[in-house]
Amino acid sequence: MSERLFEILLTSFPQLLEAAVRVTIPVTLGAFLLSVVLGVLLAVVQVADIKVLKQLSQIYIWIFRGTPVIVQLFIIFFGLPYVGIIIDAIPAAIIGFGLNLAAYNAESIRAAILSVPKGQTEAAYLVGLTYPQLMRRIVLPQAIRVAFPSLWNNLISLVKDTSLAASITVAEMFTRAQQVAARTYEPLAMYLEAAFIYLIICTILTWLQHVIEYKMAWEKPDGNRRKNIVC
Amino acid sequence: MLEVISVKKSFKDSTEHVLKGIDFKVDKGEVVAIIGPSGSGKTTLLRCISFLEKADEGQIRFAGHTYDMKTISKAHIHELRMNMGFVFQNFNLFRNKTALENVMEGLIIPRKMNKDEAKNIALEMLHKVGLGDRADYYPDNLSGGQQQRVAIARALALNPEVILFDEPTSALDPELTVEVLEVMKRLATEGTTMVVVTHEMEFAKEVANRVVFMEGGVIVEDAPAKVFFESPKEARSADFIRKK
Repeated sequence: MSERLFEILLTSFPQLLEAAVRVTIPVTLGAFLLSVVLGVLLAVVQVADIKVLKQLSQIYIWIFRGTPVIVQLFIIFFGLPYVGIIIDAIPAAIIGFGLNLAAYNAESIRAAILSVPKGQTEAAYLVGLTYPQLMRRIVLPQAIRVAFPSLWNNLISLVKDTSLAASITVAEMFTRAQQVAARTYEPLAMYLEAAFIYLIICTILTWLQHVIEYKMAWEKPDGNRRKNIVC
Repeated sequence: MLEVISVKKSFKDSTEHVLKGIDFKVDKGEVVAIIGPSGSGKTTLLRCISFLEKADEGQIRFAGHTYDMKTISKAHIHELRMNMGFVFQNFNLFRNKTALENVMEGLIIPRKMNKDEAKNIALEMLHKVGLGDRADYYPDNLSGGQQQRVAIARALALNPEVILFDEPTSALDPELTVEVLEVMKRLATEGTTMVVVTHEMEFAKEVANRVVFMEGGVIVEDAPAKVFFESPKEARSADFIRKK
């Protein structure tokens, strides 16, 4: 490796890392949080079979899953100002990714809610819980645990998808890499470097997934029962 | 104390009634065993009484009030349930809660009891069913018999007027059945009012004051346990006992 290339990589690395820490990660976390909260709401109104809201939820999912996220970002950032709604680039990215992912999360959460055995619902009613109490205290804590791996899957996708925010002027990590590449004429090295940082972030997330799954388990896998099943 | 009058019930996809006009009554302190072949409507009756199923017709008289079982309001159902305990065939413990939390849930949330008080009661109930040392176990780490005993403690803790048992030992192997029946026997001697749908003839014979024999959606015979087992009036009941 030439000394010049090494120099470029070395000086750009902190810059990319800074962009990751200041933009990519906050956008990812903000959008993910929004997507989970909204996803739970979208799922619950469907399972609870609340008139009108259930239909609205289905229409929401239909639209947000049926159109590309980059189009959604463009509509929010470039389109909405024409009807007087002006949102800065970073909030626009958080909202865009959050709204989009909520549609996917809603389906994972809905399936997870349905996986909680109905008998517990009956038992909850019979000890006197109301529907909202049942959801909050019994069903959702179990459903989140079931939905967690697929929610986390979506989170890992999201980390990488935030590079699309470059197209609505968000100076996230990938934008920074493009700038350095343009200035130094070293696209291969720069994009490999960007790829490497995404990989690091996702590696940490994968590790976190295992930690959180272990923490959430109420049946601690002392010898993970499934493993002991002989087939 | 608990009485249902001409309860009828059919399920959506069939015109045949699962319950064809059931009149049934439990007095305070009584232990009533409901027996009968599979499909006779025993479980459905219990589920109608607790409103897990909605009866098509009938009335329920409980704790001094009478309600129409078809038109009863949600609020009244809630009120009735607050004085009823229910033990399921499949235990139905809350999987995300420990044994202790399972027993406390009905006290701290619907009955708004403070946590310390609820914890004391819950521990006392767990001791009563012989599981004081399992308070912090999650259902997944308890055997079927232990789970069912926690479920009984959960019902007991709410101090209900009556506890309904829906085939409480049918999902258990014989050894675990014994430990659950032991607990139920003890409750019976303490004067707990119980309605037990069961296939355990020995239990019915030994513990129940009264036996209700159901078949085909009707009550064939309703008699004191001793009378029922020694000299049943109906040929069908006699036949059923003999085969068991």
